[in-house]
Order: sequence, then structure tokens, then C-alpha cells
Amino acid sequence: MSVTGLSPNFKVAFDANSQVFSLAGVVRPRSVDEIADSIAMLKQAIDDVRGVLYVDVKRLIQMNNTAFHAFVRVALDACRARADLRMVIVTSSVVGWTTRMFGHLNQIEPQITVEVYDSTFYPGQSFVEDTSFIPILRTQTKMTWRHERSILPRHGLRPGIAIADVCCGIGDFAVLVQKEFQPARIVALDHSKASLAYAREVATNFGITDIEYTYGDASEMLLEDNQFDFVSCRHSLQIFNEPELLLKELYRICKPGGRVYITNEKNSHCLGEPRAQSIQWTYNEVAKLFSHFDMDVELGPKSRRYLADAGFDDILVESFMVTNLDGDPQDFADVITAWENVYAGEMAVRRGDTPEFIERFRQGFRDHIFAALHPKGYAGWPIWVASGRKPT
Amino acid sequence: MDVGNSVPAEAAFEPLLQFEMEMGTFLSEWQHCDHLSTYLARMISHNRADPVRHSNFFSSALNELLEVSFRGGTASGQIGLSIYRHGPVERVQITFPCPAEQVPFYREAVQKIDRSDAHARYLDSISTDMAPSRESILLDLAINFDASIRIEESTSPAVTLIVDLPLEGLVS
Ligand SMILES: C[S@@+](CC[C@H](N)C(=O)[O-])C[C@H]1O[C@@H](n2cnc3c(N)ncnc32)[C@H](O)[C@@H]1O
Repeated sequence: MSVTGLSPNFKVAFDANSQVFSLAGVVRPRSVDEIADSIAMLKQAIDDVRGVLYVDVKRLIQMNNTAFHAFVRVALDACRARADLRMVIVTSSVVGWTTRMFGHLNQIEPQITVEVYDSTFYPGQSFVEDTSFIPILRTQTKMTWRHERSILPRHGLRPGIAIADVCCGIGDFAVLVQKEFQPARIVALDHSKASLAYAREVATNFGITDIEYTYGDASEMLLEDNQFDFVSCRHSLQIFNEPELLLKELYRICKPGGRVYITNEKNSHCLGEPRAQSIQWTYNEVAKLFSHFDMDVELGPKSRRYLADAGFDDILVESFMVTNLDGDPQDFADVITAWENVYAGEMAVRRGDTPEFIERFRQGFRDHIFAALHPKGYAGWPIWVASGRKPT
Repeated sequence: MDVGNSVPAEAAFEPLLQFEMEMGTFLSEWQHCDHLSTYLARMISHNRADPVRHSNFFSSALNELLEVSFRGGTASGQIGLSIYRHGPVERVQITFPCPAEQVPFYREAVQKIDRSDAHARYLDSISTDMAPSRESILLDLAINFDASIRIEESTSPAVTLIVDLPLEGLVS
């Protein structure tokens, strides 16, 4: 809904099934009258719910005191009138002031509590946001860049444009793009504070000051609509339990006519010679292990469908293989070692696998390393690149 | 809120930008508050560690100050806004013409922020006021944005609020 004088991206909704009343966007009215409809909707929602009303403000980007007082008034009055009512206000750690502002309500009214939704919000989060991922990401990007630097221009990357790298990890891709393609603006977003801290340090060491690193949730970004000519999201769609949600956001921030660029794996297709069988067994198990944590590391070849379903046109898909022959075979081996440490050493343990399983699981990684370092060996890691254009 | 002590020496603040507008023009359109705060916040945040979130936070605070000027200002003269930086702190200095008899109310509102019952007063204003008072907006800045606020008065009927916002620390 939109009311005269209010920002068109202020959205109010009530979902009776989940008992969620949500406020999103920018709401800075001059007087309460301008938000009378929304206030009425909240009152109606309160009348309809039994038990708990969830008030979702995680995408509330701006709210002035006038609106805050008006909504809070209704909430407090309702709690006073109905002892059975509980309200949970769901905020995001990204929009810091909402947590602070709404946080006071619990001191006034114990029936109201505040939850920060993104402290644990996707199944694989604890692995992915952990610092043990840093060495993996670092070596991986070093190896994929050799291929991607020549692939990227085919997918629309060129100098002088506005770029967002969503789920940027430790930010090395942003640094490489910045150096090679001199964008007019580059924003790099991730939800791991550890990775971002690392990214900022790396950028500082390289004397790079123009990358806007930002903490955020890729599925609920603060970035405005239609801002970027090129939006990249590398190796990350595959770790979301709901890739569609993420794609919708990538689409939203992309300019009409701009392109969204995604890279993903199909882990079961990692390969090596000699010892092909053991290697293949382990990577099939990698795919199963990730799916146990609701992550689809087989997503690569599904990219075309995901992009089409998200509304993109002019979809381009290609694949490349990172191999032990790309550069120093030891780099390849280092990536595999990092995988072994996290996948066998942490994730399988967390799943509750037996020591026998874990040993066999580890063996495939060791065999992959053996193949990579073998003088006549060959080891590969295939990656799917896909991009689509946001229709004008 | 420990105002005063935390305010770094005047000279250390570097000017980032200055802005002036005819008060009549400013008052012609409520949306000016939103547009100016969004735009200026983005400009001054670009070299903060997290520009996107810094600008979101800063815009929130600046918008409240602009709204205070909008609601309390008179159409003669100019609204002036200067933003300075010192380390993790941005200083907003906003001057706007207002009726002479209003000046004491601003002074009083600023003084109350320093009192030990500020937090209780803020909670009280959230739980009882229909619409936020000038005082509760300043308390919001002090409590939710860790702002330190001072007031300066000039001979002409105008108010200058000097608000130090240590947002860089809050954001990251
Ligand atoms: C597999 S890594 C890929 C990182 C980087 N693109 C690369 O290729 O090196 C996935 C990244 O997604 C980030 N991530 C996961 N969920 C996120 C979310 N909801 N919002 C933002 N970032 C998220 C993680 O913190 C992690 O850095």
C-alpha cells in the first residue's frame, strides 16, 4: 500500500495464517493521519490473532519517531487490554537502530519481546560464517580468477559501471574486480563479520579505499532497487536453503538491462586420476552431507532454471574446470585440504558420522590431492557460471 | 548519558559539508526532511567502514533533527546545516529560525537530556505520549544513537543544535 506523501516503498502487510504483521521500507510521516490505514491494519491484526502476534520489522529501513510512537501506542494499548496477548518484534542485526528502539518496549511491557532474527537463520550458517572458511575462500578465488577474468566480460562486466558482489566472503573477488575493471562503484556485502573484517584489512593493505564493504543479509538487503549494472553472487546460492529468495533480492537491486552473475558448483562432479573411484565416492558424499544441512552444492547446472524462474532473460550459461594444471598444483591441493578440514573435520562430525565413515570420507580428499600432485595426474573442480539480464 | 566529557576538542573536528536553504523553501515540502537526510547521509558515509549501514543510521538521526526544524521553524531566514567529523564521531550543527518565545523550550529539552532520569523519561514518553515531543526526539537521539547534544543561541530568534553522533562505533 502507499499513502500520499509517504515513500512508495513503505509496505504494510498482515498474514493471518502465520500471525505476522510486517512493516517494511521507509516510513516518515508528518502526522499520524498519513499512516492511519496501517495503524488500522495493525489494530485489526491484533483483534484477529490468538496467542502471539509477530511484528516483523526486519526490512524496516527508516521509521521516524512520529510513526514509531503511533505503532507503539497501539501495541501497548493492546497488551494492556488483553493479558493473553504476546507480541514478538522481529528485528534484524543489520538495521541496528531498530533493535535499539524496539528493544525498550520490553522494559515497558513484558508481554512484548524483541528477537533479532538473523543470529541463526540458515542451517549452514555456523559453518559458513566461521573463520575456518577463510583459507578455503582465499585459495579458491585465486584459482577461479584465472578463468573468470576472461569470462566476466562476456557476462557484461566492463569498466565504469556500478557493481555489487553479494555474499562477498573475504572480499578478494571485489579487490580483483576493482583492480581489473575499475568500476564506478563497488559494494561488497556479506553476513560474516569475521570475513568482512578480514576483507577490510586486505583492502587497506592493498591501499584500496573504494570498495564499500557492508554487513547485511543477502535475502533482506538495505540496498535500494535498481542500483547496479552488474550483481555477482559467487558460490553462495548453493548454500542457501531458499535460493529463490536470494535471487529475488539480486534481481531487485539490479538495474533494468543490467545483469546478475552467479557461479555454483556440482560437487559430485569433482574428479581425478589416478584413484578416480575413491575420489568420486567422497564427492558424492560431499553432496549428501551438504544436503543434510539444507545446502545444494549440486546447484551449478540448475542455474539456468533458477535464473529463468526469477524472471531474467538473455540467460547465458557456461562452465569451466579448475585443475591442477592451472598453475601451481599445490594451490589445488591446498583447496582440497581446506575442504577436508571443514567437510570431514567439522560438518561430518556435526552430522554424527562414525569414525569409519569419516576416515573413508577423508581418504577421497587425500586421493584427490594425490592425483593433483602426481606427475602424470589430473585433478579437476568444475564450476558453472550463469548470468541473466533483468528485463527493461 | 555523559554529555560534555565525551565531546572532543572543538578544533579537532574537520568540516565535511555545509548546506543552506531558504527556510521558506524548506518548509514548502515535508519530504525535504527525508530527501535531505538520505542524500546527505550517503555523501558523508562513503568513506566509513560500512558505508551502507552508516548512512542508514546517520540518515535516521539527521532526519529527526530536520523534522524538529521543520515543525518548529519559521519561514523567514535560512536553515543551515554543517557536518563535521572527528574520528568515529560526526557532528551535526543545525541552525534554524524560530519564534523567540520558543527558544527556552529547546534549551530546557536539551538540559533534560543530561539528567540522570533521562532513560526513565524516554520510556515514559514512549508509553504515554500520543505523538513524540521535541524532548522525546532529543532523548531518542541521546539514548538510541548515543548522541551528545548542545544548544547555542544567537541574537536573532534562531536555535542552533550541535549533535555529536558516534555512529561509526555503533555500526561496526
Ligand atoms: C561459500 S562462501 C562464498 C564467498 C565468496 N563469494 C567466494 O566465492 O569466495 C558463502 C558466503 O556467503 C555468506 N552468506 C551466507 N549467508 C548469507 C546471507 N544471508 N547474507 C549475506 N551473506 C551470506 C557467507 O558468510 C559466506 O561468506
